[in-house]
Amino acid sequence: MELCKQTKQDLIDLLEKKNIGLEGNILKLIDVSDDPEFEKYVEDCKKKDSETRKKRLEVTKQVQVKNQELEKLNEENVRIMTELHQSLKEVEDSKMTFEVQNRELIAWKEDNQRISLELQQEMAKSELARIEAEEAKTAAINDLDLLQKKKQTELIGNIVKIALGVIISIGIITTFMYILALIINKDTQMIGSTWSNMLGILLTNAFSIIGTIMGVKYSSKEEKE
Amino acid sequence: MIESLMLVDDEDLFHLVFEDACSLLDISLSLKSVKSSDEAAKMFEKWFKGESVDSNKPECVFVDLNIIGSSFDGIELIRKINFEYGNHVVIGIISSSNEPEEQAKALQAGAQFWIIKSDDIEPRLELFKLDYDSYKNRTGKFKVYR
Repeated sequence: MELCKQTKQDLIDLLEKKNIGLEGNILKLIDVSDDPEFEKYVEDCKKKDSETRKKRLEVTKQVQVKNQELEKLNEENVRIMTELHQSLKEVEDSKMTFEVQNRELIAWKEDNQRISLELQQEMAKSELARIEAEEAKTAAINDLDLLQKKKQTELIGNIVKIALGVIISIGIITTFMYILALIINKDTQMIGSTWSNMLGILLTNAFSIIGTIMGVKYSSKEEKE
Repeated sequence: MIESLMLVDDEDLFHLVFEDACSLLDISLSLKSVKSSDEAAKMFEKWFKGESVDSNKPECVFVDLNIIGSSFDGIELIRKINFEYGNHVVIGIISSSNEPEEQAKALQAGAQFWIIKSDDIEPRLELFKLDYDSYKNRTGKFKVYR
């Protein structure tokens, strides 16, 4: 690429006065032969361009390194966040498990309390039934005792009646026979002694019966106590 | 010096680094930077069919291996450029990856070089510049610049 003399001079002036020069790959295409002044200009511009590019390259590389570090940090952040999410999920899962277990325990406790209450009620019922049974037993024993007493009394009564009957009958018969013997004037010695003996025996027996009855009564009273 | 060069890379900052490095090392006169393999494929398809208004078809193409936001990766782009749109450019991978399996795939797709992308890219580009002529006349073997 060839430039005219005026253009070359304008470019040189621009560089000297305003420090503005050509840059980039165009410098590699310009023909500088036969013009040492312009050759120097192109060399200066190339040098300036090279320095600028070197600086930019360094900065870009630094930015690139920083970017890579940031990317790594970002990846690390993402990894940590993922782990955190995972941990959070695990904690939530554990919480859910605990809640479920807690609910189960509460339900179990309520069941236990209900069963305990039912058991207490059943025990109270059982105790009541036992008391009732004991009362019934006591009543039955009392009834039986009463019945026995009644029977005993009846028996005693019957014995007394029969005994009294026999005693009175024998007494009456013997007395009648004695009176008859007196009326018909028969020997009364034998019948008299017999009558008195009989009356004595009857009285003795009567007292014996009464004594026996009293003894039985006393004995049954002691057994009861 | 390479007349025209194309860089296909999704990272904007690397466009600047690559442009400055190429300029400082006098590697190329003009550089076209694109961000996706789809965009690059479309451009090559138009050049191949003669539909493009841009007649400045690059002599050499540097392709990133993993181009985020693209339909296909750098190796597939190289395959397309080589086998679908004509094999007329020097083409290779520029990537931070150094996996032999990927390098073998790239070679199979027609890549001529593999430059490891790092903070200090200039020494590798200088070596590449020395080998460029062999790539251009198809005598240079596939090489990895570590």
